[in-house]
Amino acid sequence: MSQLRFEHVSKRYPGGHEALVDVGFSMEEGEMLFVTGHSGAGKSTLLRLIHLSERPTRGAVFVGGRNLATVRRRGLPQHRRQVGVVFQDHRLLMDRSVFDNVALPLVIAGVARAEIAKRVRVVLDKVGLGGRERALPMALSSGEQQRVGIARAVVARPRVLVADEPTGNLDPQLAAEIMELFTELPAQGTCVLVASHDLHQVRRLKKRVLVLEHGRLIDDFRPEAAA
Amino acid sequence: MSASGARPARNTPRPRDAGPGLGERLRAWRELHLYSLFSSIGRMMQRPWATVLTAGVMAIALVLPLCLVMLVDNLERLSGDFRQSREVSVFLVPQADAGAVETLAQRLRDDPQIESVLVRSPEEGLAEFRQMTDFSDALALLSENPLPAVLVVTPASQLEPLVLAQRLRALPEADFVQHDAQWRARLNAWLGFGRHLALVVAGLLGVGVLLVVGNTVRLDIQGRAEEIQTVQLLGATDGFVRRPFLYLGAWYGLFAAILALIVATLVPLALQPAVAGLVESYGAGFRLRGLGWGVAGITLLVSIALGWLGAWLAAGHHLRQTTPDAEAKA
Repeated sequence: MSQLRFEHVSKRYPGGHEALVDVGFSMEEGEMLFVTGHSGAGKSTLLRLIHLSERPTRGAVFVGGRNLATVRRRGLPQHRRQVGVVFQDHRLLMDRSVFDNVALPLVIAGVARAEIAKRVRVVLDKVGLGGRERALPMALSSGEQQRVGIARAVVARPRVLVADEPTGNLDPQLAAEIMELFTELPAQGTCVLVASHDLHQVRRLKKRVLVLEHGRLIDDFRPEAAA
Repeated sequence: MSASGARPARNTPRPRDAGPGLGERLRAWRELHLYSLFSSIGRMMQRPWATVLTAGVMAIALVLPLCLVMLVDNLERLSGDFRQSREVSVFLVPQADAGAVETLAQRLRDDPQIESVLVRSPEEGLAEFRQMTDFSDALALLSENPLPAVLVVTPASQLEPLVLAQRLRALPEADFVQHDAQWRARLNAWLGFGRHLALVVAGLLGVGVLLVVGNTVRLDIQGRAEEIQTVQLLGATDGFVRRPFLYLGAWYGLFAAILALIVATLVPLALQPAVAGLVESYGAGFRLRGLGWGVAGITLLVSIALGWLGAWLAAGHHLRQTTPDAEAKA
């Protein structure tokens, strides 16, 4: 069963702008893909439909087999705990330590303190920030802040992880390091969608690529199929 | 247009595990409440000036009804002596000499329905009048004492003072009988009005307190809108988002109530010398009484509840504005 599925999804904003037009694709457990396209192509809208910051005008989005149209207001938090989100601007809570930022999804989910401590340390080690738990985000570089953002997105072991231009503010070397981190996540069983217009990084990693243009899915490229 | 997924990964571990047990959830819930409780006070302390201003405005709104309550309470106490007084004064005709006065007094004392009779001679009345007024020089010029003898009659407990006054008016020796029933009825009406006024003012200013807290919390929410959006995307429930603001509102309510109670305690202390002088000029003594522990406790609870409610309304409004359902309707 696919972990994420878009069926003829369209999204039209109140002003009449069509951000997505009849988009359809699906992802299996542990798969990674990039969503590319020019600015305004609909990449961010596609991701926003997954974490239900918006709802489609037509069509249906399925996560873990559940049609998100059936998720009402009370069910939103439970759905969002299945979707990790990485932001371009990190969106860290600047008055809380690295540990507290990463622990936040587990705190929200009501996980016991000892379990939180264990999981946060493991995930911080994975993103190369072991030993920086007590630091405040302001004391970190932009790349390190993005690592904290990734750690926070994966610590609750989400079904799907979406990242909107996660390397947009980083220099090429840092961007490459961050992208490498994403490629390790599918091994945990998480579906990973990364929206990026950095074609150099996308080509280098040889992953599946969805190409959007004016809201339409114009290509679904799989390197392994091409090879 | 549809493209199906690619690689199956059947042997990969499940990304999500079973949720925490009930005990762990309860412990986490308690920790979250404690965290919200103390982090919200920490946020207030980060902006001491704004906190003092908000709590100050709320406190002033609370002080006014408290002062009204205090005023009515003290007036009730002051009038209580008068209201409890059962004495009826009988001013005798000027022709009544001392012997006739004493005979009448003794006749009344023999009545089982009368508890006591006090005789005030014209001379005693004049001496008392001299002490109570500044007209002692003018009184000295009088050739004779114009005051009549007075009997101060107290009925036994089974007899109403009003009934006794009617009986005493029938005496041929009585020139004028004074009993302040009408005055007492009017005073009772005024005190009742005062109590109702205090309630209405308290209600109106309570709404004011609610609006002040709501607006302050709304501003705090606006300042943290991005943080709220982030925790919502991480799966926070409305309760999780709302909780720190509820504690913030409750803290504002608590501080405002404490400030208001301090002011309400200082007011009687500040007014006491003036009130003492005023009451003393009437030949009486009276000490202003502040708010009791009961009123203070109710003030604390009501103020905290108003703070909590104001924050709940402000946070609820924000949460309703930020759901995808709301966006879809827009």
